[in-house]
Amino acid sequence: MIELVNVKKVFNAGRPSEYSALNGISLNIEENKVTVLTGPSGSGKTTLLSIIGCMSRPTAGRVKMRGREITSLPERFLTDVRRKSFGFIFQQHNLINGITALENVMLPAYPLGERRSALKERATRYLGQLNLQDKASSQIEWLSGGEAQRVGIVRALINNPATIIADEPTAHLDTKLSHRFMEIVENFKAEGRTVLITSHDPLVYKSSTVDRVIKLRDGQIEE
Amino acid sequence: MLLLHPGVIANLLASLIIAVMMLYSAFYGVQILRHWDIESGSELQLVLERKTYLVSTVLSYVFALQLLSLFMYVFTADNLHPLFVGAMCAAGTLNLNAFGYPTLLLKMFNFILAGVWLILNHADNQGYDYPLIKKKYALLAVVAPLILIEALLEFAYFLGLRADVITSCCGSLFSSEQGDGLGSDLAALPPGPMIWFFYGTVFVTLASGLYYYLRGKGGYFYSFASMVFFLTSIVSIISFISLYIYELPTHHCPFCIVMSEYDYIGYLLYIALFIAAVAGVGIATLIPLRGIESLREVIPGLTRKLTMTSLVLFFGFASVVTYRIAASNLIM
Repeated sequence: MIELVNVKKVFNAGRPSEYSALNGISLNIEENKVTVLTGPSGSGKTTLLSIIGCMSRPTAGRVKMRGREITSLPERFLTDVRRKSFGFIFQQHNLINGITALENVMLPAYPLGERRSALKERATRYLGQLNLQDKASSQIEWLSGGEAQRVGIVRALINNPATIIADEPTAHLDTKLSHRFMEIVENFKAEGRTVLITSHDPLVYKSSTVDRVIKLRDGQIEE
Repeated sequence: MLLLHPGVIANLLASLIIAVMMLYSAFYGVQILRHWDIESGSELQLVLERKTYLVSTVLSYVFALQLLSLFMYVFTADNLHPLFVGAMCAAGTLNLNAFGYPTLLLKMFNFILAGVWLILNHADNQGYDYPLIKKKYALLAVVAPLILIEALLEFAYFLGLRADVITSCCGSLFSSEQGDGLGSDLAALPPGPMIWFFYGTVFVTLASGLYYYLRGKGGYFYSFASMVFFLTSIVSIISFISLYIYELPTHHCPFCIVMSEYDYIGYLLYIALFIAAVAGVGIATLIPLRGIESLREVIPGLTRKLTMTSLVLFFGFASVVTYRIAASNLIM
């Protein structure tokens, strides 16, 4: 379980442009469930997601993962948690042009020092599971939007994380591809993973796959 | 005139940088000592958690500079000696006013403390929950005033250098026959028994270090033996090692050995000795911390590394000394 205790996030503190993105969020996110954070633009969804995923630190408050406090961890320990516990799916995919889909997928596993042959075999297998086996040696810029997003999903899975974090994953997808994405999320759940999604797409937060919807507004929970 | 000497400028600049950075770090160190509470998720605690990275990094560089400054100080004092009547090496230059030797002694003491702080900091960085944060900042609270005093003494020394002062040469400061004071007392120690005592200390230190390295027992004893080795070696340099290096039965100066005439062998000996002493003291500093949960697996590896480092350096020191004694033309 991921537990948030009175999490606050202030940007540009002490300056005229000071902005409070999160105002004391306390929340429990259950394991092996699909949770969606929804709310209008600027409500703090992405900020909250980045704090849970150890990509940024709160201004105040604590985050605990399976009982272990992670916000106070020194950076090099936090990197380890981020790398092994979370898989990230981004709205803009954030894939690297100029290298192949297979290399993009393998990239997050390089720092762990796994044998290349074993890593390549796993990456190829995961690409196959999302019908991308023919695209493994294609350069990223040659892929369609849906294919690129699926490559991004495979990349999130490469280190076998317990939690998948997806930030507005369907923002750039048509209806058919959005349904396909939710099918993939259903599979994640079946595999025992925890999924945390930010979205204001009704197709996502009204999906039967979703276990819990948390509404945010002005950095607070509206539940 | 002396203020424009590159060595003096480098020393004073280093001293100033160390003092200013120390004040900055001590300011946050005090806040960490007073307000640190890892259980709290307060804004202040999270600020301190971020700040400690900056302060630790600053201090790592400051203390590394502090280690260097000891040898820079000796080098400069040696370099300045032709400018003063009576001075034949750093010994005479340091005797020019009342601040030269106190600065050196404080630098030596702070070298050990700075080294221990760096070891503590390294160990703390291996733990996920800042296990030594209060201890290392408590040590900083002790070191910071000493380093500030050292900076004041160093400024007083360099600013107080007068070219018209006639100083004593090392021959009279470290004489076994004439003069009084600690230098002459050490020089007057009988070389024969001192050689036996020195090699006895070498044997006990190396044997206890090897035993600790192989069996993991007797760490405190080895740490204590390291300090005894360090002090014995300093005394031995004055008492008999210097005689063999200079090949003169009456010249006991511990500073002339850093001169080019003697192939700068003094730097080799002192650097080995000081680093080995820090590593030795570091072992006794770390042993009581092995019970801390997040350091349980880290401390044994660290103490082993420190043991091996100090053993290699002590052995190297003893080997170089033995070689110089064996190759010397002096027969006593």
